[in-house]
Amino acid sequence: MEKKRPIKVLVAKPGLDGHDRGAKVVALGLRDEGMEVIYSGLRQTPEKIVQTAIQEDVDVIGLSCLSGAHNRLFPEITSRLKEKKMENVMVIAGGHIPEKDIAFLRENGISAVFGHGTPVKSIAEYIRQNIAFNL
Amino acid sequence: MSDSGKIKEKRKLWEEKVLDPALKRFRLDKSPSGFYTPADIEGFDFIRKVGFPGEYPFTAGIYPTLPYAVVGTKGSLPSAKGLVRAARYSGYGTPEDTRDYYKMMQSQGLRGGPNLAMDLPTQCGYDSDNPMVRGEVGKVGVSIDTLRDFEVIYESYTGSLDLDKIASNFTINAPSNMIIAFYAALAEKRGIPMDKLRATPQNDILKEFVARGTYIFPPRHSMRMFRDSAVFFARHMPNVNITSIGGYHIREAGATRNQDLAFSMAIGAAYLEEGVRAGLDIDSFAPKFTFNAFGGSMELFKEVALQRAARRMWARILKERFNARDPRSMLIRQPMGAHIGCSSTTLQRPLNNLTRGVIGGIASALSGSPPMAFPPYDEPLGLGWSLEASQLSEDAGRIIQYEARLTDVVDPLAGSYYIEHLTDQIEEEAWKELEKIENMGGAVAAIENGYMQRKVAMSAHERQKRIESGEELVVGVNCFTDESELEVLTGRLIPHPYDEAKREQAEEQQIASLTGLKRSRDNRLVADLLRELKLKAGKEEENLIPIFIECAKAYVSEQEMCDVLREVFGEYKEEAAF
Repeated sequence: MEKKRPIKVLVAKPGLDGHDRGAKVVALGLRDEGMEVIYSGLRQTPEKIVQTAIQEDVDVIGLSCLSGAHNRLFPEITSRLKEKKMENVMVIAGGHIPEKDIAFLRENGISAVFGHGTPVKSIAEYIRQNIAFNL
Repeated sequence: MSDSGKIKEKRKLWEEKVLDPALKRFRLDKSPSGFYTPADIEGFDFIRKVGFPGEYPFTAGIYPTLPYAVVGTKGSLPSAKGLVRAARYSGYGTPEDTRDYYKMMQSQGLRGGPNLAMDLPTQCGYDSDNPMVRGEVGKVGVSIDTLRDFEVIYESYTGSLDLDKIASNFTINAPSNMIIAFYAALAEKRGIPMDKLRATPQNDILKEFVARGTYIFPPRHSMRMFRDSAVFFARHMPNVNITSIGGYHIREAGATRNQDLAFSMAIGAAYLEEGVRAGLDIDSFAPKFTFNAFGGSMELFKEVALQRAARRMWARILKERFNARDPRSMLIRQPMGAHIGCSSTTLQRPLNNLTRGVIGGIASALSGSPPMAFPPYDEPLGLGWSLEASQLSEDAGRIIQYEARLTDVVDPLAGSYYIEHLTDQIEEEAWKELEKIENMGGAVAAIENGYMQRKVAMSAHERQKRIESGEELVVGVNCFTDESELEVLTGRLIPHPYDEAKREQAEEQQIASLTGLKRSRDNRLVADLLRELKLKAGKEEENLIPIFIECAKAYVSEQEMCDVLREVFGEYKEEAAF
């Protein structure tokens, strides 16, 4: 089934990390791909990110973190989503994520981790395919 | 006919008779390579445009000779042996972890003061016990809450390495004045007068609004904090540098080369204005400005030209706009010159980053700076470089200097038609952009209205589009990626001196230390001091550094001081960039 409205994505920066180039590039790139994108700005708490996701009724949350706090922050977001019965929201992530942490993040509800150099087009492709699969 | 006229005529003939037939033969619409002649730098005036090294306009270099190049000719090698320099930007976990790290590095020969990396809670003005910062304590640097933490770290700096004998670097911006207050308070406890202290706080808050993001207060109140540092250091801490301005961060965040240069110059000029407005003579404080670095890229010639243009532009701003007379006011003092920028490194086939770093090291040498092959190749693999990567990076610089001898001549590309043309072009475009910002009301206004932030985000987006369309090529990322290419893996065999288990436990331990300290200090005094701070913060003309030092001595925490200022100044809320 095709979605009638554009896919809605929240690109969010949890924690204190201020490296927002990747987040902004992905946000602008996904917009070029025809998605509706909200960018959270810096220093968002997991609570605030989930709240925004609910308010804006997004299909996807894209998290970006380069400070090394991802193992703490990302699972907190997915578990809050679970509490709110929002597991259907796809959560993807990027940033400075070492290879060894990816399995842990996937176990904790992060659908995919996109590393340095990932084309925005392939992130868009991933979202489209997996969203369609979810519906 | 002038020489230039003759050359232009000859060029036209060459294009018709030689170039065009060749293009036709190769079926090209347009030549993929350029060629430069004296006609591209018409009216080139060596004395005015380049001059001698160490003389205005400092295009060739800020010093008459390359001081670091001397060791190679005297037959003695630098005293920093082995991987000692790998200790440069360092600090992690609790203050105890960082102290122990420095002690260990000292046992291996480290001399000189620390270049302290602080964690994000410290950089953003939060204490470790704030629930908002869970997961960040001790991660990207060491955690600092109070003077106690400085006391612990600097247990590794005593005797022949006491505070009056070393220089400390602090990568700190919004709470820079509190961190300096901790340092001054620590010195006082050790009986060392503050005019003996040597240090460089980054203290470049304006770029934090454009890149890096560790702001706290709104731009105008942040400028008051900057003013306080300029005035206080000029009067009481003459050996402390006022700022380390970083165009590098802006470039890494996505800015183009011209934006990097123009924004840095605009930001630097705004700081100079602030000092002048506070009544300082320009030559009494401008020599205490340093630069962290300008950003980099793989485009070697353009990066060399950028460095030359930056030196010339800053000198002219100081001389013509601020009427500086002392040449020391006009210098871009920075630890590194041209380089590739960390964002040029790739996660794909990461050993290629060594090749990239070497090209940066060559650019660095050609631009008149120590040949640093920065960053080590494993930059994109995770926080912290491995010792193997640091060793190779260190060796690359040595090979460039001692074997290839690229530091034998100052500004070796001076006079190249292409480089002089590029230098003029980069400078000219940066002046245009700077003028635009000045017409807006200067750097502070261009940040308040979100101009710089928007420009940087758009430039990052444009570059990404060029990479995705294949217009810009990155080896192993968007080209040469098919299965016939080999995946070259690297290992980290030598354990990193940071103890990962300690880093993991740091948050809990640091919270325990802070909790204990908050219980044992004189909390009545703390409350009195915070009231006094609030009163003084409300008076625009008041310099807050003396009260920060009083607070530091009473073990008032960084967040407690920042919270008072948050009440008085307000907090910066990011403008929606798009």
